Amino acid sequence: MSEVQRRKYSQVEKNSIFDGEFMPHIDSMYNFAYRLTFDEDDAKDLVQDTYLKAYRFINSFEQGTNAKAWLFRILKNSFINEYRKKSKQPAKVDYQEVETYYNSDDVDFQGTTDLRAESVKDMLGDEISNALNSLAVDFRTVIILCDLEGFTYEEMAKILDIPIGTVRSRLHRARNLLKEKLKGYAQHMGYDTDEEE
Amino acid sequence: MEMNEETSGSRKLRCDDTSKCFELLESILDGEMGDPGKEVLKEKLAKCQPCFEHFHLEQAIREVLKNKCTKQSVPKELAQTIREKIQDVK
Repeated sequence: MSEVQRRKYSQVEKNSIFDGEFMPHIDSMYNFAYRLTFDEDDAKDLVQDTYLKAYRFINSFEQGTNAKAWLFRILKNSFINEYRKKSKQPAKVDYQEVETYYNSDDVDFQGTTDLRAESVKDMLGDEISNALNSLAVDFRTVIILCDLEGFTYEEMAKILDIPIGTVRSRLHRARNLLKEKLKGYAQHMGYDTDEEE
Repeated sequence: MEMNEETSGSRKLRCDDTSKCFELLESILDGEMGDPGKEVLKEKLAKCQPCFEHFHLEQAIREVLKNKCTKQSVPKELAQTIREKIQDVK
């Protein structure tokens, strides 16, 4: 992911990298973009912009290294720097929620016994999806990168430009928030939960 | 708080440090702890009921996320549009 070592690829090499290493990730890229923007057209624009940038800066990509992480980093930066400002639907960031969680030393999920693995397994795609979408963008992003896309903590640290320790703690907090949301759904839907009186 | 007597067996019903343990369990699930992680996991699952439950809950959540949140269908024309735009800048 180094941008210092610049290469000079021939046109043929550029095409081969673009088709062979970049384009195969289009599904993951679109899914990520859609979960950031919640809008099909915006997601398309974001993915398109990302690929155009990737092509323009292809000389800073080292062939054979982690293209997916490289592309995700560009997409995430495009989203933050350009897209978020002009978005039709501003990302639903609950700053209060972010602040509370960033500023507290340790807010932990106390509801392990209130949410059962079985009720989670029974949930519908929409419920899971809505719970994920309702998280503030920073928390949503780490869950997408880790659980949906399978990036390692080290890759996530590079994509997000944050230390690995921050990846680990942000992920832990994101999962606690997600469990709180899921617990809400589980209770609302009448799934089997242990309700404390 | 209800304790799961039936499945707890010889596991202790209270975890001394859920915060630390749960974060560790999550790292293990994420494949970040390598082989030593597997050993720690085996021990925790055998000895601690809250860890056991947390692990299975986390595992279930990862599974539904992976199965239910990655199926956004990509617009057919997107790849083609990208290729055309690249042609323009070549």
